[in-house]
Parts: sequence; structure tokens; C-alpha cells
Amino acid sequence: MSEKRKRRPKILMIEDNIFLRKLYRDKLTRAGFDFIEATNGIEGLNKAFSENPDLVILDLILPRKNGFDVLDEIRKNKKTKNIPVIILSNLGQEMDIKEGLARGAQEYLVKTDIRLSDAVEKVKKWLKK
Amino acid sequence: MDRKQTKRKKAKFSDVISIVAHQLKTPISVLYGYLEVLASEELGKLNKKQKEYLLDARKNVEVISNIVKDLLDVSKIEEGKYKLNPQQVNLVKICEEVIASFASWARASNCEIVFKKPSVDVKAYVDPSKIRYVIENLISNAITYKSLGPARVEIGITKKGNNILFSCKDNGIGISKTDAAKIFSKFYRSEEAVILNPSGTGLGLYISKAIVELSGGKIWFRRNRDKGTTFYFTVPATHYVRKKKAKTKNIDDRG
Repeated sequence: MSEKRKRRPKILMIEDNIFLRKLYRDKLTRAGFDFIEATNGIEGLNKAFSENPDLVILDLILPRKNGFDVLDEIRKNKKTKNIPVIILSNLGQEMDIKEGLARGAQEYLVKTDIRLSDAVEKVKKWLKK
Repeated sequence: MDRKQTKRKKAKFSDVISIVAHQLKTPISVLYGYLEVLASEELGKLNKKQKEYLLDARKNVEVISNIVKDLLDVSKIEEGKYKLNPQQVNLVKICEEVIASFASWARASNCEIVFKKPSVDVKAYVDPSKIRYVIENLISNAITYKSLGPARVEIGITKKGNNILFSCKDNGIGISKTDAAKIFSKFYRSEEAVILNPSGTGLGLYISKAIVELSGGKIWFRRNRDKGTTFYFTVPATHYVRKKKAKTKNIDDRG
């Protein structure tokens, strides 16, 4: 076959909880994605700039730099400004959701409300666009 | 203890509740996610008993999760930070969905739920998920606190002027005169309630009252002449403006 093999889409997850990272790493890898991860805001931002992810899953309450600030910097940088960002957070108040979307997240998911399989569907949806 | 001290103690208590509940959120999401993957069998087939245990575990995680949500709501209510997101909502549809979700539990409890469904849609100006909480709470209380033998719960919705009146009539164990005054208080549980449902938190009616009142309505109950209780609440049919707020300019909270 002459058709080039498609590159597997790469997901960057910025999340400080080791178990949630493992859960998403395993699930998304099984679903055919490349998965890279960062455990704090600074590391996350560095990877967003250096690793060319196709999509970012972003927690908000993060060590070193909070998720809102990470999102701002992702949107400010020429290289990353168009990458879809899905916020996955414990903050579920209307105010937080409004703020997350206003700052340029494509999707705002509340950890306690979203099922893993639905979260993966959201990832697929934004990668199709 | 003077008043100031009491107040400080109270504030600390609600802080503790809020902190503990927040700390529980992430481990709950983790547990739920792991159980979801295992139950989906994408990591390997399960035998019947393994599957049953996993589903039981998941149900219990849901129980914890709901308690945590209630506790967080209580601490928000106490801080005056409980926010509703009202919109035009079809209450008939919400009632039907809630009743459907309770159908198998009601059947297993020998309880018949009758919805006196109005022939037209009944719209209210409320927060859909919050009003659903109130309706779920009232109906699940009616099922939980039923008398021995077959039970009947009757749900009604009607438009009364600019308000919608919801009613939930049961033929259950009823509410005694002593309990009547305290039934909407936080953590309050009657002796009978504890016997029938030892694991209840005593938060459902407290939260429901806050939701209804913040929506611009009222919640109350009457002891039925024959047996059981009827709970009522009203909510506005259309946009409700508090007199205080009406004075302020167009609210724009983007700042």
C-alpha cells in the first residue's frame, strides 16, 4: 500500500493524580492514541510547547501553575493556540465552567460527573474536527 | 459561650465539611473510573459473580459520591454561595424521567407510583438539575418511608396563577407533630426515619428547601386525613426577579 500510515493522534494529559493519569493512559492507549503526561502546570506547559500534542486534557488544581494559567499560555502561544483543550476538573461550579470556556477551552468536564467512556468520546469528537 | 464564638465554631464546622468533601472527590472519580473499565470487560471477561460484585461496588461508590455532593451543597448553602442556573423547564418531562428511574425500585418495594399527568406541558423557570434533585428527594422519601404492605405515591403538577404547584402524596408512615417542625432542618432525622433507613443523612429536605426558596417558591407538607403525608412545592412559571435585584443594573459577571 502506498498510502502513508496515519500518525496516531497524541494526547497530553496534565493531571497531578497518578491514578487518574494511569486510568486515562491505559484507556486512551487502548483506543489507539499516543499518550504523554505531565504532573504539574509548568511541566505540562513545557510539553505542550515541545511535544506537539493534538489535544490537551487539563486539570485545574495543579501544582506549580494552575490550569487556568496553563490554558492562557497555551492560547497565547502561536504554536499551541489552536490545540483543542478539554478541562477535566473537580471544580463544578457554573462560575468555573464559564471561566474555563471563556478562556478558550473546547470542553469542560467535571470529574465526578463524567464517565470515562464519555470523556474518551469527547476526545475523539475534538480530534475529528 | 457568646454569640461570636458560636458563629466561629459553626463556620469551622462547615469548612471542615467542605474540605473533606472536596478531598473525597478525586478518589471517588478514580474508583469509579477503574470500576467502569473492569465492568466493561475490555480488560477481560468476567464471570457472573465478579460482574455482580463490581456493579455492587459501583453502586456504593455512587452512594458515597451523592453524600459528598450533598455535603458540598450544604456548605455552599450555609455560605450563601449556592447558585442556581434557572431556565424554562418542562416539569412534566422531569417528573416522568424521575418516576421511570425509580420504577424498578418502586416495584421491588411494592409501591405504585401514579403520575396524574397534565394534558399539556407545564413549564417552570427553574434550574433543571436542582429541581430534579427536589423531585427525586420527595419521591424517594415517599418510597423509603412507606408503611408495611402495598404503598401508593401520587404525583401531581398544576399551574396556579404565575406558579407551578407540585404535589407528592403518599400513604406512608407519616410525620409526627414533634417532627413536623424540624423536618426541614439540616441533619434532622426522626426516630422512625432512622429505623426505616439508618443510612440516610438528613440533608435531602434541607437542600430541597434551599433549592425551592432560592428558585422563588415555597415547600411544605400536610398530614393526610387518612394516612401518610403530602409534600408540596411551588416554583415560578416564568422568570422570577427578586425585588432587591431588580434595582441593580444589567448583571454582567464577566469582569
